[in-house]
Amino acid sequence: MLFIQLALNGLALGAAYALVALGFVLILNATRAVNFAQGDLVVTGGFIGAALASQLPVPGFVLLPFVMAAMAGVGLCVSALAYWPIRSRPPVSVFITTIAVGIILQNGLNGVFGPEPRTAPALLPGANFEILGLAISRQSLAIICVAALLIAGQLYLTNHTQVGRAMRATAQDRDMAAALGIPVARMVALTFAAAAALAGVAGLLLANQFFVTPTDGTNFIIKAYIAVVIGGWGRIGGALAGAMLIALFETLVSAWIDYTVATGLLYAAVLTILFVRPSGIFGEVEGRRA
Amino acid sequence: MRRVALWFIPAAVLLASAPLGAFEVNIPVLVPVTGFLSLEGTSQRNGALLALENPPNNVTVTYEVADTSTAPEIAVNALERAVSRGNISAVVASMLGTQMLAMLPLAMEYKVPLVTMSGTARITEMGNPWVFRFFPGDAITKVAHARYAVEELGKRRPAIIYQTTAYGQSGRRHLAESLRKLGVETVYEEGIDTSVKDMLPLISKARRAMPDVLLLHLHSGPTALFVRQARAAGIDIPIVAGSAMHQPSTAALLEPSELEGVCAETGSSPISGGNAEIEQFAIDYRKRFGSDPDAFALGQYDATTMVLAAAASGATTPEAIRQYLSQTRHRGLAMEYYSDGKGNMAHDAVIICYDGSDRLPDIVKHYRAADPQN
Repeated sequence: MLFIQLALNGLALGAAYALVALGFVLILNATRAVNFAQGDLVVTGGFIGAALASQLPVPGFVLLPFVMAAMAGVGLCVSALAYWPIRSRPPVSVFITTIAVGIILQNGLNGVFGPEPRTAPALLPGANFEILGLAISRQSLAIICVAALLIAGQLYLTNHTQVGRAMRATAQDRDMAAALGIPVARMVALTFAAAAALAGVAGLLLANQFFVTPTDGTNFIIKAYIAVVIGGWGRIGGALAGAMLIALFETLVSAWIDYTVATGLLYAAVLTILFVRPSGIFGEVEGRRA
Repeated sequence: MRRVALWFIPAAVLLASAPLGAFEVNIPVLVPVTGFLSLEGTSQRNGALLALENPPNNVTVTYEVADTSTAPEIAVNALERAVSRGNISAVVASMLGTQMLAMLPLAMEYKVPLVTMSGTARITEMGNPWVFRFFPGDAITKVAHARYAVEELGKRRPAIIYQTTAYGQSGRRHLAESLRKLGVETVYEEGIDTSVKDMLPLISKARRAMPDVLLLHLHSGPTALFVRQARAAGIDIPIVAGSAMHQPSTAALLEPSELEGVCAETGSSPISGGNAEIEQFAIDYRKRFGSDPDAFALGQYDATTMVLAAAASGATTPEAIRQYLSQTRHRGLAMEYYSDGKGNMAHDAVIICYDGSDRLPDIVKHYRAADPQN
């Protein structure tokens, strides 16, 4: 029974991590650049959710669209400040500018909201319930459902819509896409907005169960980076699998052995995967690695 | 890479001075208000500012506030910069142990007293006469932590959950040692990283060891996470936490019902009241900063007030202030402060407990270390 309980917890945690990693992959695929501010965008989403909740005491699902909209705006700003002015420079330049944006976000949140941990409202009101002796958290179920919907929506958008095709064309060859009449600047901005909105959702979901502080972004970006490396650089499905693997190590494996050893085993697993399949479990999307 | 980038953030500097008096002192406040220790560092800064803004009538104070973030070199640069401006009387120094260890050689070289809230034991074990710690270290608080669990609660099978940071490991070592001296062995111990989100694996492992009390030594967020998830998992044995649990911002993350049966060690608990002076301090603090004070704020307030008392008595040079701090007893709001010869000024610890009806803890036990001067 404990195993099932832990697996359920791991699934919910992995779903939230997957949203973080998904936003990371989106920008990676659109710009070939690593967005190191993604973790701080997650934290920003959590703080926006907490701030909205203090003014508007409603369930989290009501706040969700507002958080996504606000974070999409933040994403546009990040695109305009940290990517667009240096889009023709080597990808390493974007590493630096996104790190700078992350630090600005972190210290900005500290200055505006203070250093205290914050909590956001649950997506659905109401206490936990029991099924067959399992304590089922409404928030955990909501996290899994919301993450599944958003990931499915993202896959549909990318693979089955004209906008998604334009985004992929922009990622593959920006000059050729522009020559074909695709609004490249708009596509890049849209990608940043979508990635930030996903980060905002992850932030709102994580802030309720696990709280959020201005300095949490580093932990999230490390997990997203590992998830993407495990799953295959640039693969949406791979990022999802990587996020789940990390969460399962954090819940199932560490329930039976020491946390520190479990963390060591996770990194050993990452190294093993990279040794056996250097391009990750699902393989690397060609030419994405900077 | 992020830490490297942080070095380039210019420290926020604020210069100010209080009304004119007969004696002049310059007391820079060099504390971490950004980074992972920003919660505690902000309290430290606020406590210092409240004292500096209200000096004795015959003292004129000049001060600057600089953010030391989390890197030792930022703290060293801040101290160098403050010293280069000249006429420093004493420094309110970072509560981050690694920064204090980096600043100590400079304090010795420039002969300037550092008053700090750092809990790192080593800073007062290096024979440096220029450091003064105004927060009870682990050698005092962890003894109180262990004694309360064993002597007051009558528990014999404690489990220790600690953070894998330097702070956490130091606390674990002192806690385990104190328990051993009381004739009690821990039935379970585990360290966790600050990034751990799901505590259920930890709770299930601890439960298998069948402890009769859970002793925590975690930072603020992890403490609240553990308490919440332990209660959700049906753990109903007492929890005696580290000082993070006394912080109003930690309690604010939990429902009062989740706090029932939760106690914590700390140097003081200003929101719990106790006397008219502490209650006035809490009122003034809320009015000035818009938040509740914690033990770090009160401790730094007391420390800064003692430096200002030195100035009011005519001790305005660094050496005169050092001698005053070394030789004088000071009745602060939280406790009486005096040096043990190594610069440890705080020798009291309290245990606070929540009754489950609100987030306001009561002080239930007061512990005082043996007085080496008597």
